[in-house]
Amino acid sequence: MNPVVSVTSLSKYFGRFRAVKDVSFEVYRGEIFGLLGPNGAGKTTSIRMLLDIFAPDGGTVSVFGGNMTEAKKNRIGYLPEERGLYQDLGLEPTLLYLATLKGMVEADARRRLEEWLKRFDLYEHRAKKVQELSRGMQQKAQIIATLIHDPDLIIVDEPFSGLDPVNTRLVKEIIEVQRQAGKAVIMSTHQMYQVEAMCTRIVLINQGSTVLYGEVGQIKRDFAGNAVNLVGQGDFGDLPGVLEARRRNGAWHLTLDAGTSPQDIFHALAVRDDVRIERFEVAEPSLDDIFIHVVQQAGGVSSEARTYA
Amino acid sequence: MRRLWLVAKHEYLKRVRQKSFLLLVIGIPVLIFGVGGISVMVTIGSGDGRPVGYVDRAGVLHPGLLTELAAKARSFTEFCAYGDEMDATTALEAGEIQAFYIVPEAYLTDGQLRLTYGERAPRESITQDFRVFLRGSLVARQPAEVRPVLADGFSLTVRSGDGRRELAYGQGIGFLVPFIATFFLYFAVMSAGGYLLQAVTDEKENRTMEILTTSVSPLQLMSGKALGLMGVSLTQILAWVGALVVAAVVGARFFEPLRALTVPWTMLGLAVLFFVPTFALIAGLMTTIGAAVTELQQAQQISGIINLLFVIPMFFVALIFSQPDSPFLVVLTLLPTSAFLTVLFRWSLTAIPAWQIVVSWLSLTCTALGSVWLAARVFRLGMLRYGQRLRLRTILEGLRRPRMVRKEVINENA
Repeated sequence: MNPVVSVTSLSKYFGRFRAVKDVSFEVYRGEIFGLLGPNGAGKTTSIRMLLDIFAPDGGTVSVFGGNMTEAKKNRIGYLPEERGLYQDLGLEPTLLYLATLKGMVEADARRRLEEWLKRFDLYEHRAKKVQELSRGMQQKAQIIATLIHDPDLIIVDEPFSGLDPVNTRLVKEIIEVQRQAGKAVIMSTHQMYQVEAMCTRIVLINQGSTVLYGEVGQIKRDFAGNAVNLVGQGDFGDLPGVLEARRRNGAWHLTLDAGTSPQDIFHALAVRDDVRIERFEVAEPSLDDIFIHVVQQAGGVSSEARTYA
Repeated sequence: MRRLWLVAKHEYLKRVRQKSFLLLVIGIPVLIFGVGGISVMVTIGSGDGRPVGYVDRAGVLHPGLLTELAAKARSFTEFCAYGDEMDATTALEAGEIQAFYIVPEAYLTDGQLRLTYGERAPRESITQDFRVFLRGSLVARQPAEVRPVLADGFSLTVRSGDGRRELAYGQGIGFLVPFIATFFLYFAVMSAGGYLLQAVTDEKENRTMEILTTSVSPLQLMSGKALGLMGVSLTQILAWVGALVVAAVVGARFFEPLRALTVPWTMLGLAVLFFVPTFALIAGLMTTIGAAVTELQQAQQISGIINLLFVIPMFFVALIFSQPDSPFLVVLTLLPTSAFLTVLFRWSLTAIPAWQIVVSWLSLTCTALGSVWLAARVFRLGMLRYGQRLRLRTILEGLRRPRMVRKEVINENA
């Protein structure tokens, strides 16, 4: 299957500052792809180069099998992190304007807008000025602007910020529906549990460079050797080779150093009389843990990217 | 192209639906005609309806002419003759007349007249009417074949050295056009410049920029905005011109001079020809400023200086009227920012050589296109720098390294 987006060795400098260096990834139809990284890692700059907002200083970007064109822009829906709407205009004319700029005929845009407004409970507010809407409502309006023209490639940067749990679930469902419809979705977010729940594959960028790239499941399995989950009685925090011990709801999560295996911990516990084990399992780390681990490991020094097919 | 029109339509509707626009379109004519109307009413109200007497000791006046003059001009003053000054004084004291003129015996040699009035000096229009009466009477004494020439003076036609341009003095309202154009330039174009500044800084401030730039190119966005706001300005101008036409038609029913007005179509055509690129130039410069700075207030301060460049000719009105062909004014004609007003002023006063008009228009149009291109490029550089001012060095670097060239290099390397 040909990738919808193919980014190869992308680089970008702002003056002497290297914002992105040698970033590569591919995104396919029918997948939600996570673009992750700490603040200032170069995620948004990569997205902007992908969208032809910035010209890259090196590397290539291929969208729908070639260079970006004006016609291809109509097939892309983009929800930027730095977002806003015309505050002094009505909600309906604002969204209609943005939809027609994406190549929609006004009558079609009007019909589809009505459906979207009803779906997001904004229909009653369509005549209001944008500035009269709550932050959450404005956020939903911007998601409508991203999806109204039925794009084939959807890029959402922090799509859940400003949303309450009900609307977060709604947006998650909508993104999942888009994926099932065969759309390619690139999602950039700091909410790792959302990435874990939704994304098939991810790329983790740190200090402008790729440090992790591949399938979420494979990445988690690869990092699994470094932690165990325990349920039992006693203090498990003082075991040798444990970097961090966290206790939550009666269960322990032990993060191990690189030279310690779960088998070593199991043996260490077996000889102790002061503890009682009720459950012992090799822990699959959360993406949150992996993220922190990889970013801290990389530190200020650029590291080799780890790729998981 | 469709997107450009969409942006233009959006900008146009957004501005014309604002209350401030309606206030400007309706308010300015209302203000002007209101003040004008009050002045006229005060003038008319302050007038004394009683006739004005005269004593013709020189025997030059023809009372029969008065009937003819009164038929021509509805508001012509009523004059009545008195045999001597005593009779006129008696009538004045009795309140039958408001004033009387004495035409002394020596009038034909020294041209001196005398006016005596009661409580208040008569209006200026009465003296004007008496001048018409007196001049008409003097002309009537001459042979019929020379009367029109004596009454109307001469008609001067000035022709340029290359023979391509002619100017006829004393015809129509041509001399008014530059002043009206200046007025429009100030109120309509400058307000559009303000809208443009606001349009660009607004989208940076409310973060709509990034969504827009994934739908339209910077050049489409900038051109669309300029086009839409030019439409706003033209709507303003048409509304004001419409108000002027209505005022002229209504006014002509009451004021004789308005009936004699003719419209200088050639000059109006020239005004439109120069207005379009001048507007594009202003739009380009304003947008460049708006894209380079972070706040509207900063942009307005810089744009104030730019505005001055466009109204430079107003500082040299005295020179334009006294020496409309001076080399300095030729320079102003060829300078893109001052071309519009200088050409219009000089057109009404002298025969501008055709080459100057052609070169001026071409240089203005090329500069305008360049300014829109510059605006699009600076806009692209500055559009996502939220809260950051663009440095001149960054702008120059951005201009030196055109985007397409860089893209080709990247593709070749790949």
